[in-house]
Amino acid sequence: MNKFKTNLALLLLATTLAISACSPVATTPTELIATGAATEEPVTLTEEVVDAPFTIQADPNLMEAVAVLYQAYTPNETPAFIATDADLLVTAASEAEHVPGEILAAFMADAVLIPQSNSSDAADFIEFAISIDGQQALIDAGLLPATITITDQAGNTIEIPQPLMKVISAYGPTTAMVYAVGGEVPLVAASYLGARDAAGAAAMEAIDPRFQELVSDDYFSQSDLNIEEAARLDPDLIITSARTEWLDTASELGIPYVLYDAETPERLTEAILLTGELFGPHATAQAQAWVEYYNWLTQAILDQTETISDADRPQVLFTGTNALRVASRDMYQTSLIEIAGGFSVSAELTGYWNDVNLEQIAAWDPDVIIVPPYGGATVEAITENPDWQILTAVQEGRVYQMPKLVVPWDTPSPDSVLGIIWLAQHLFPELETPDCAEQANFFYNTFYNYAIPSEEINSICAIN
Amino acid sequence: MPSTEAPTRLKQTITGLALALLPVILFILALLLGRYPIGPLDVGRSLLSPIFPQLGADIPDVARRLVLRVRLPRALAALLIGASYGGTGAAFQAIFKNPLVDSNILGVTSGAGFGAALALLLLQSQWQVQIFAFAFGLLAVGLAFFGSRLYKSSPLLVLTLMGILVGSLFGSLTALLKYMADPLDTLPAITFWLLGSLSAVTWSNLPTLVIITLLGLAFLWLIRWRLNVLSLGDAEARALGINPTRAKLWIIIASTLMTAAAVSVSGVIGWIGLVIPHAGRLLVGPNHKRLMPASILLGAAFLLLIDNIARTLLPGEIPLGVLTGLVGVPVLAFLLRHGRTG
Repeated sequence: MNKFKTNLALLLLATTLAISACSPVATTPTELIATGAATEEPVTLTEEVVDAPFTIQADPNLMEAVAVLYQAYTPNETPAFIATDADLLVTAASEAEHVPGEILAAFMADAVLIPQSNSSDAADFIEFAISIDGQQALIDAGLLPATITITDQAGNTIEIPQPLMKVISAYGPTTAMVYAVGGEVPLVAASYLGARDAAGAAAMEAIDPRFQELVSDDYFSQSDLNIEEAARLDPDLIITSARTEWLDTASELGIPYVLYDAETPERLTEAILLTGELFGPHATAQAQAWVEYYNWLTQAILDQTETISDADRPQVLFTGTNALRVASRDMYQTSLIEIAGGFSVSAELTGYWNDVNLEQIAAWDPDVIIVPPYGGATVEAITENPDWQILTAVQEGRVYQMPKLVVPWDTPSPDSVLGIIWLAQHLFPELETPDCAEQANFFYNTFYNYAIPSEEINSICAIN
Repeated sequence: MPSTEAPTRLKQTITGLALALLPVILFILALLLGRYPIGPLDVGRSLLSPIFPQLGADIPDVARRLVLRVRLPRALAALLIGASYGGTGAAFQAIFKNPLVDSNILGVTSGAGFGAALALLLLQSQWQVQIFAFAFGLLAVGLAFFGSRLYKSSPLLVLTLMGILVGSLFGSLTALLKYMADPLDTLPAITFWLLGSLSAVTWSNLPTLVIITLLGLAFLWLIRWRLNVLSLGDAEARALGINPTRAKLWIIIASTLMTAAAVSVSGVIGWIGLVIPHAGRLLVGPNHKRLMPASILLGAAFLLLIDNIARTLLPGEIPLGVLTGLVGVPVLAFLLRHGRTG
């Protein structure tokens, strides 16, 4: 835990600033208090604390909302507001002092709960405040909107009820985004990426015990939808890829859907922020934290690599499920290589995966070859093939396999930040780029709320 | 009349010579051309270096290995597979008395496709894929053949029907495997295999292909005059002292082995077996004595031609299925316009 905090120090106070600067929900808290809760009695400081399980110190304009939450949490009790030294601090995110990198419990835009003591009652209250029930209580009091209007990545404008209670994620990468913003509670069915193999399934089950119950690749995927199954689950929302084929059928059911198209780093950032927005104020804060983390790591790599001349940068080949299949310019893998400081030799190709021949690869003669963690691709398939010995990368032993825990780190998913860190470390072993094991530990703790066993993360990140 | 016979014979000789030279020229081109620039002299010396090591001394290792280990086995595979499709196509068109069939009519390709998909899903290694493809190709034809024995009358028609049925059965099974395959994982490998490509051919693929294809081609060459008889009909064949059932069985067995060997190396490459015999007929006429060698040579030349384009034109490999039609149709149209009539 300590390691994760120290490394978070790198993760900038800017996190806080960014969380506070964003206000994805259209209305600000003060306006809502003015309109929604104007008729109620003003909330004031408690004269004398009697029997309250914990005390609260709140910014005046947030006391109303805290009172609403407290009522919903323990009906007929009143919160004990005091002026200083309370168990719980309620403030604007921008005002909050906290451990850098820690994701604060945001219950409204720019409003966070910070524990000041180790009162377990206060911790339980925080848990409630950022839950679906907490969001519902604030909506009932008119402090949060009952619907939000968003524009998805296919350009459709959709009105979406809040809070989301039942969601189907029919596309592996969007499921990963839901977990990364902490929005997995309302999932009723999901397609998972990288969870078909035994190791991926085991890790996913450790992250979410509901995995086996939710996983439904047989009913929903980009290409297939079992319409009866969808109807039976009665979701508020389906999130899926913009390339999904069954959208007309979903329209027939009258279920709103949000479409994702996140094949570039910019679009991925946009997609994760969109996911945060869908799943409420706390998810929004967590999505912002991901963006900050992403910006921090790209800057940290750039700081180390910007002085390297183009001629000294490694030429990288990213192969696919087959060693003679390579990533094109339009693919996320190519962006990954560029952010990590290398050049992709196959950037002249367009489209999706391209089939090439060994002769073409010899003409490119890459310094480094990366194979993906899926499709049965292995480093040995290249290094032990006598025909591939002609390549510099093979002669110098620089053929590596991109890791994965569940989601492959080279796919356009939240986990791809680790792919960038890992790749930069392999491209520039002599530079002080962020450390894979340390960052993976932080990443899964923070975004998946999963303490990854250290031997597991060490083997995943090992320079192979 | 002698005055017209002489020029006809001359023309036949020229056509024959041209047909024999075409695959040779394209084979040499296949060794000379590639995405990696290697001079013609270096190519020549690389080829001779296994026999005269001193010739290969000053050639970069990359160039030598590319010529010997990448270009040469691939060109050989294109030559053999093209010849195999051309020859078996001509044979099947003769024994089925139907110009719209090729050696896939009995389901060998569908069976091989299923075998390859099964191996890709379960086993992953390349030689296992080749063995599975080969075995299931034979199994499919075996099923079609013994299935047709269940029904007595009109054996050829029943055999064709059974071939189509078995083919569609394995097609469905392959679709089932694709449905079960991980979209990120095994599915692209299966799809790639079903599309057909020579990009992964190495020496390790070649021994079975070389042996089966050469023996098969020799067999087709030797029985080519019987194809004339068989294409006339069973009664005529019997009248000429040939057991048509047995002759057809042997031709089916040989062609199936050849096709399965070809498919197991290259994946599914369509079109050649169906169309090349027609090009051959336009050039040398319907007599199998000349049509069989013409189909074999044309098939070899054609696959070498499109594979040369597929691997050199763009940095990415162009799927062979794209080129068979794009290159083949204009060639065939040209032959239809200028070829022999009647």
